[in-house]
Amino acid sequence: MKDRPVQNSVKPGRWVPSTCKMCLHSCSTLVHVTEEGVVNKVEGNPTNPSNNGKLCPKGNCAIMRLYDPHRIKTPLKRTKPRKGPNDDPGWVPISWDEAFEIVARELKKTLEEDPRKLLPAINDFQKLFLWAWPAAFGGNANYFTVVGTYCGGGYHPMNGIVHSTFAAANDYDYCEYWINAGGGDGFSSHLHVASQNYYMAKARVERGMRVIQVEPRLSIGGAKADEWIPIKPATDRHFALGLCHVIVRERLYDVEFLKRDTNAVYLVGPDGYFVRRGSDGKVLVWDPVDNKAKAWDDPTIKDFALEGSYQVEGVKARPAFQVFKDILKDATPEKVSSITDIPASTIERIATEFAKAAKIGATIKVEGRTLPLRPAAFNYYRGAQGHKYGSMTNHAFKLVNMLVGNIDAPGGHIGVTLDDQTEDAGHVWPGEDGMLKPMPHQLHPEIPFAYPPNTTHLMDYFPLGVDPGHLNNLTLFEPEKFGFDFYPDTMLICHSNPLWNMNGNQERYFEIMRRMRFIVAIDILFNESNVWADVILPTLDTLESWNMTMIEPPNTEGMCLRQPVINPLYDCKSEEEIFWEISERIGILDQWNEIVNFVCGFYKKPELMLQPGKKYTDRDIAERKGLLWNGKPLEWYMKHGHSVTKRQPKKWYRPWEGMRLHFYIEYILQRRDELKRKMEEAKVPFRNEWYWDDYQALPDMRLDPVHSEPPEYDMYAITFKDVQVNFSENLSIPWIDDIVHKDPVHMGILINTGTARKKGIEEGDLIQVISPYGKLTGLARLTEGVHPQTVAISNAITKWVDFHSVIRPGGGNFNRLLPADLKNTDANSGQMETVAKVKVVKLRSRPENAAEVLKQYRFVS
Amino acid sequence: MPRWGMVIDLKRCIGCNACTVACKQENTTPDGILWTKVVSEEIGIYPNVTRAYIPLICNHCEDAPCERVCPTKATYHTDDGIVLVDEKKCIGCGACVTACPYKNRIKLHKEQLQRGLFKIGVLTPFEKQGYPRFVAGTALKCTFCHERVANGLDPACVVTCPTEARVFGNLDDPSSKVRRLIQARKGYQPLSHLNTRPKVFYVE
Repeated sequence: MKDRPVQNSVKPGRWVPSTCKMCLHSCSTLVHVTEEGVVNKVEGNPTNPSNNGKLCPKGNCAIMRLYDPHRIKTPLKRTKPRKGPNDDPGWVPISWDEAFEIVARELKKTLEEDPRKLLPAINDFQKLFLWAWPAAFGGNANYFTVVGTYCGGGYHPMNGIVHSTFAAANDYDYCEYWINAGGGDGFSSHLHVASQNYYMAKARVERGMRVIQVEPRLSIGGAKADEWIPIKPATDRHFALGLCHVIVRERLYDVEFLKRDTNAVYLVGPDGYFVRRGSDGKVLVWDPVDNKAKAWDDPTIKDFALEGSYQVEGVKARPAFQVFKDILKDATPEKVSSITDIPASTIERIATEFAKAAKIGATIKVEGRTLPLRPAAFNYYRGAQGHKYGSMTNHAFKLVNMLVGNIDAPGGHIGVTLDDQTEDAGHVWPGEDGMLKPMPHQLHPEIPFAYPPNTTHLMDYFPLGVDPGHLNNLTLFEPEKFGFDFYPDTMLICHSNPLWNMNGNQERYFEIMRRMRFIVAIDILFNESNVWADVILPTLDTLESWNMTMIEPPNTEGMCLRQPVINPLYDCKSEEEIFWEISERIGILDQWNEIVNFVCGFYKKPELMLQPGKKYTDRDIAERKGLLWNGKPLEWYMKHGHSVTKRQPKKWYRPWEGMRLHFYIEYILQRRDELKRKMEEAKVPFRNEWYWDDYQALPDMRLDPVHSEPPEYDMYAITFKDVQVNFSENLSIPWIDDIVHKDPVHMGILINTGTARKKGIEEGDLIQVISPYGKLTGLARLTEGVHPQTVAISNAITKWVDFHSVIRPGGGNFNRLLPADLKNTDANSGQMETVAKVKVVKLRSRPENAAEVLKQYRFVS
Repeated sequence: MPRWGMVIDLKRCIGCNACTVACKQENTTPDGILWTKVVSEEIGIYPNVTRAYIPLICNHCEDAPCERVCPTKATYHTDDGIVLVDEKKCIGCGACVTACPYKNRIKLHKEQLQRGLFKIGVLTPFEKQGYPRFVAGTALKCTFCHERVANGLDPACVVTCPTEARVFGNLDDPSSKVRRLIQARKGYQPLSHLNTRPKVFYVE
């Protein structure tokens, strides 16, 4: 007995290489299974250069999902028709056959009546191709969730336009001066956390990289940064424009980059469009040496004017750079300071430090290529970009980087692809007039214009945006106004929690759910949304199933295999088995196979293409994705676990060499006017209410509408996640509970100590945060680490479930504080405002029975 | 014979608690038992404020107060300097819990083993395979993952740390990474004035 090991990883057993799924990214793991067949340890796989053998706290918790006693163990059918947040569904177990029969019968009815009547919320990020299933369902393009939009409505399209990628990150290998605005890259959230935290620590500690964190709340990044700069919420764009103002005023920008690699030299006419030569339509630039306008590709060009105003083709024309410079007149550090609460001297200093750290003019040789070395970069994510003017905000951040010439340069700000699909695939294409082809749609192809609309969230009118699923909260209550000739009555929820993730009025969401004739949910655990279902189809756990993926790896590429390490514990099926079975039963199998061929890129190697009339399993798809990447069979992946390498420098650094980047995004104006024309032609009744001003070729200093809420709402509310809970819902895991609920930042509503005192609020008091749209309740937690006009609410205290023994329900959901309307939605990108204007009211002093007290406030809207 | 020790780099630590969870995973510690954890403390007044993240773990003191007070010699030193508990000898008197100035000793109650991690009285297969090592009523502590170490592996909290804030090695080997770190970055021991001679060092 004494010799038998007590530590899990050294007990007799085997190690199976696999892939983590505790968030959407894909760290390689080694999973230990005992001789008795129990999974007892998950570690990082050191052969993967992304996570380097490390795992974040969530990755360390995979076993707790597998063995969660609350897992849905068999298909379930609702027996009690009354649907409400507290109503018992009366679940009864049913066989898979019965479940499929019911689901197929109901979905087929919908398909035959009108496929647009289905509201899908499919959010398994590691099986991204499932998001496309509704397309096989009669071309359905509805979206009843805001995954993708909430954090990146403005972000993803702008990366698509500037880098032709889904995401972006600063270059951990060479960066020396890193500004993080409203994002946790390298510390707490965003891309491949365990990986990026590793590279960030290396850069900070071993190379002395300086980190400046700009955000209203002192996050982990703020705490570890060389400098935390608190900022008033929803003023991040103004801060960026302030930096641009100083960089331009002091002439600290990269002239060569702007002239050679961007369209900043293209002449812009009074209508905002580039000035084109009458004879051949070529975009004109100004040659200051010959003192005349020339076509952008004229070989006689001696120099490009960045500044000035010229009479060209009968109009007054300015280089795009000059147009921006004129906008920046309004962005003096003093003005920006009055908006952001950041001292003007700090704006001046950071701008100067940043531009100097960029070492403009320096070069570096990488794999035989001489590249600009620009070791200063401005990185950002959800908190900074998630505002009404999301597109302009993201553009402003890109411009900070463009001014110093760091786009896709070593040390700079670099595009990150979602999934390259094949080892040798490029991700950039030449566009018009010498520019990079803008690729704003990174998640699915553009939804064509239609009136009456074909989508309930109005995606027909977002030619540049990410699905604004929250607009369901508006449109489904005014269907006549939006001209619908159908009304949804069916819902499919797959690994999604739309009622939790969407912003907008709570009662309306409940009402939408009640109006559904039939809801099917595909999931592993109950959540706030899938408990409204009529039938639940349980899925296998990560440790029981197959998959092949690599999502948004910043500085690596490859494919990561998930393989079953044990036999399924319960009567569950893979998502693939479920979707293919339903597809066959409702008669859309061939359409679905075709769509998967397109979405997964199997058409690139015709021998991998799915065939009509056949169903495929999770293993089949995984195998094909591996073969597509590098031609290696599944057996090779089963042994190695992954094919991840450092990202090839030719893909990582300036893959667009020879094309010009969009400094000035005329493309936005083109798409705006195209939409305007189509809306006019179709006489779309709400065309005059559309926020046409949201489409701008350059960002400006206007204030987001959240700042104009009535003055009684004197504070701002923001929400945040940390590494323990980011990119997934892990509050059901006892070990996450252990660390989250011992961390003061996740144990109440964070309010600045000085502000609290002024309002008579003490530590532990029960307070209510009230916006013009909703309320939430919680215990006050006083801190110095938050902007005085801001309350900050952890994602960890906004759950309302009662059916899991570990999840602690809070006093309401942050998203209820936010509006779901057109006014606060970026008409360009679909991004909703993610900051609320609120007032904070003390309800009572430190209640002893806080959990009970919170319960009664949970559904107050 | 090596003398095992650890260096914790406070500059690298981001307070993510991957270590905390990796330990729970490796050792199947019951609900409410943390052999290592990270605490945080806010320092300063707005806007000049920061937050420190401080990982805590048994220091495996050379002169361990918990060992000194143990009436049954259940707490003992291995030859390579790891402080362990022989649960067969432990009578659960709790003297070690009181004596440890770092509050790293903790007594296991029967209820913690019974309620399970999901707190509903159901033990998962993972818990069932792991709990036989524990005896209710005895005092527990971090073992420096002595079995992993005996197998040439680093402790679980060390290998998982995304920022490599924890380094494990032989304090007697002048060329070891722990020794070099302590020297290069002026490593210090927690509550060093108590002369417990911890084998865990911190660098900033």
